[in-house]
Amino acid sequence: MTIASTSHEDVLAQGQAEYACVTRNLSVAYRDELILRNVDLRVPRGVVMGVVGPNGAGKSTLIKAMLGLVKPLTGTTEFFGRPLAKVRQRVGYMPQSATVDWDFPTTVQDVVLMGTYGSLGWLRRPGKAERARAMAAMAQTGIADLASRQIGELSGGQRQRVFLARALVQSPDLFFMDEPFQGVDAKSQQAIVGVLHTLREQGKTVVIVHHDLMTVRDYCDHVTLLNRRVVASGPAADAFTKEAIRTTYDVTDDDGFLDSLAFVS
Amino acid sequence: MTVLEFFADHTYRMVLAGTVTIGFVAGALGSFAYLRKQSLISDVIAHAALPGTLVAFLAAVAVAGTGGRSMLVLITGAVLAGTIAVAFANHVARTSKVGIDTAMAVALTVFFGAGMLLLRIIANGEFPGKGGIQDYLFGNASVITTADFVTSLVVGMLALGLMVLFWKEFALRTFDPDQSTALGFRAGVIDTLMFTTIVIATVIGVKAVGLVLMVAFVVTPPAAARQWTRTLRGMVWLSAAFGAVGSGVGAWLSILLGTVPTGPLIVLTLFAIFLVSLLASPRRSIVVTVLSRRRARAALKRELTGEGANT
Amino acid sequence: MTFVAGTALLAVVTALACALPGVFVVLRKDSMLVDAISHAVLPGIVVGYFLTRDLESPLLIVGAALAGLLVAVGSEWLCRTGLLTGDAPQGLVFPALFSAGVILVTTNFANIHLDTHAVLVGDLNLAAWDQLTVGGVSIGPTYLYVMLAVLGFDCAFLAVSYSRLKVTTFDPQFAASVGVRTGVVNTAFMFVVSLTVTAAFHAAGAILVIALMIVPPATAYLLSRRLPTMIMSTAVIAVTGALAGFWLAYLLDAATSAGMAVFFGLIFVAVHVASRLARHLRHRRRAGRTPAPVS
Repeated sequence: MTIASTSHEDVLAQGQAEYACVTRNLSVAYRDELILRNVDLRVPRGVVMGVVGPNGAGKSTLIKAMLGLVKPLTGTTEFFGRPLAKVRQRVGYMPQSATVDWDFPTTVQDVVLMGTYGSLGWLRRPGKAERARAMAAMAQTGIADLASRQIGELSGGQRQRVFLARALVQSPDLFFMDEPFQGVDAKSQQAIVGVLHTLREQGKTVVIVHHDLMTVRDYCDHVTLLNRRVVASGPAADAFTKEAIRTTYDVTDDDGFLDSLAFVS
Repeated sequence: MTVLEFFADHTYRMVLAGTVTIGFVAGALGSFAYLRKQSLISDVIAHAALPGTLVAFLAAVAVAGTGGRSMLVLITGAVLAGTIAVAFANHVARTSKVGIDTAMAVALTVFFGAGMLLLRIIANGEFPGKGGIQDYLFGNASVITTADFVTSLVVGMLALGLMVLFWKEFALRTFDPDQSTALGFRAGVIDTLMFTTIVIATVIGVKAVGLVLMVAFVVTPPAAARQWTRTLRGMVWLSAAFGAVGSGVGAWLSILLGTVPTGPLIVLTLFAIFLVSLLASPRRSIVVTVLSRRRARAALKRELTGEGANT
Repeated sequence: MTFVAGTALLAVVTALACALPGVFVVLRKDSMLVDAISHAVLPGIVVGYFLTRDLESPLLIVGAALAGLLVAVGSEWLCRTGLLTGDAPQGLVFPALFSAGVILVTTNFANIHLDTHAVLVGDLNLAAWDQLTVGGVSIGPTYLYVMLAVLGFDCAFLAVSYSRLKVTTFDPQFAASVGVRTGVVNTAFMFVVSLTVTAAFHAAGAILVIALMIVPPATAYLLSRRLPTMIMSTAVIAVTGALAGFWLAYLLDAATSAGMAVFFGLIFVAVHVASRLARHLRHRRRAGRTPAPVS
């Protein structure tokens, strides 16, 4: 019996490890208002998963609850088959930029170096190795020349690239990005997309909150349509359908607009 | 002591009338500070009143030779200094990256420090009627004279009159600062007027209850009133009533108990009113809210786990 | 050590001990919380005296620091209920606690030497009165060594938690996501602030402690683009202002902390005006050289 159940668990663990992250039955309430209802989500390894939905659909809340930044009412999330506390180093997060104090006396390089704090102890400061990693991450996002700028002096797109570099410097296997393209100029958008492609080539997994329906197909190979609950989730061709988009956004299609977006199924 | 005896005593009458006036005016005008989310500005004003009153005292002594502690002189100096401190804090917050909280802390301490230096200069000189620092810090309700009372009543009514006159503009500016600018009201003018009324509400109490505790007169009644009402008009009235009643009850208690100072007792009475409001108000009661929220969450959780198990 | 030298040194050490944690207070936009915390010192001391019956007991400082922490935690809790807005919670809690302290003093301890106004105003010269002598030689005020210990404690705390404090202050969401326990960091920091305020009130008084804690970092904030620069310039401003304020008070024969507060204020105003002028000039020069970019 013991042997059998152990091997059964092994099989289960292996099966789950195909997924970078698995969320089961996740519900979140703000005070007594339900924001997310029984969300089940599986993110396969090595995909770029777009989380798409209208304003107030709970997209950011979903990511925060998965990462334990918002306490969920019910449900659990596992990363690489294990609880977050055990694999924190393998999970990177790029928050929405609005939460930060832009007058904070800190330079671009300092902010990127903050990405290494999680792996440092109480007393250790970032050393040569960390600095080198930070430089590499800044080069990858095209902000190496801004390293000594105060963050308040940057444009919106440059700021986003700083936060992307901060997530990259941890070299995680799974990235969560909350609206990385919000308020971003064309050059920054290009740089961020470039990083996305590189990550996919490296076999990393990316979960990206995205609200521009036009570009979903370009950036994402998996899509989750969310409006307080999961409407559809899976490979873009299966999930990003006219029908699902219509349900998610609660719109009726008269002018064929949806046809231009979705894969025709 | 019977009620009749109480009101037969001139000092008691003055203490009661004086503190009730202070409580009423501070409560009514404190509503705007509360809704502007800048309640602590009253603490800045109260501390800035110290150098203001001292400069006014010196000026009065220099000009008139005496009467430096008269209420009108004190209030004039305090209003000027308080207004400058508020303008300084708001200006620094607007024109530099320093936040309003830090700007207020800077204004508070710099003015108070200057007051302390002035106080020493006065203490070293020979001035009639000079007071010690404790008179300014804690005030003294039992020295309210009829003239003091009349002065604070008139000045307080002046501030309330301004509020009534500019009611529409104040309301708009409080609830929707962006829109009122767009509508073409001179936002700066309205702000100056509003903060001036808050300055007056704060400084008329400094002589009776002191600069340390005046903040409670401005903050506590509106916070309590907010728990019961949703309209601005209701809030201002209720807050004024809470301020007046709390001050009256506190002053009464301090006279009955004899040795306990008036200001602290009023503050505790106001705080009790606030606690009762927080716990008992029908719509927003903290007990009801917390309980119902917890119940709703538990129900949701049950429902959702049931649902999850079925899927 | 002469009395003047010892007192001046005490002023410098007190200013430093307050200003260093003040850097993070300013960055967290919690400056007025220091106002609230410092007023809670009185009831803390009264309750501490009630328990120990000894005005010299070091437990008084810890008790008062806990009272300060109570204000910080209490007002945060009131905020979280969602029933109050703005900075009102702090303004509600500290006058009530302070009033309770005053009433306790006047009703129970009218006979002991605990002047309520002394708590608020403080007197550096009085604090420096008690001299520590080793082998018959005075080595400065006893209180200097208390403040040195507090300074050491503050520096140790900041050194150990520098990274966590920085990332928690800058971006709490991100900090939590990399596993920093932000709640623990916040509470520990508030306790350190509270302890420093409490220890310093003898020298500066509860009201002017705010000046020592807030104004030097606020000035440095105007000047700095990096956190290490801000900390260094805070230290420089604190020391300069302490010495100049000490001298100013010495001339006027007034309380040293008042002189320090006014001097810090002057430095702040000067830096504020200068930085605005500099920005103005830079803009004009830039506008003169190149046409405004079309965007």
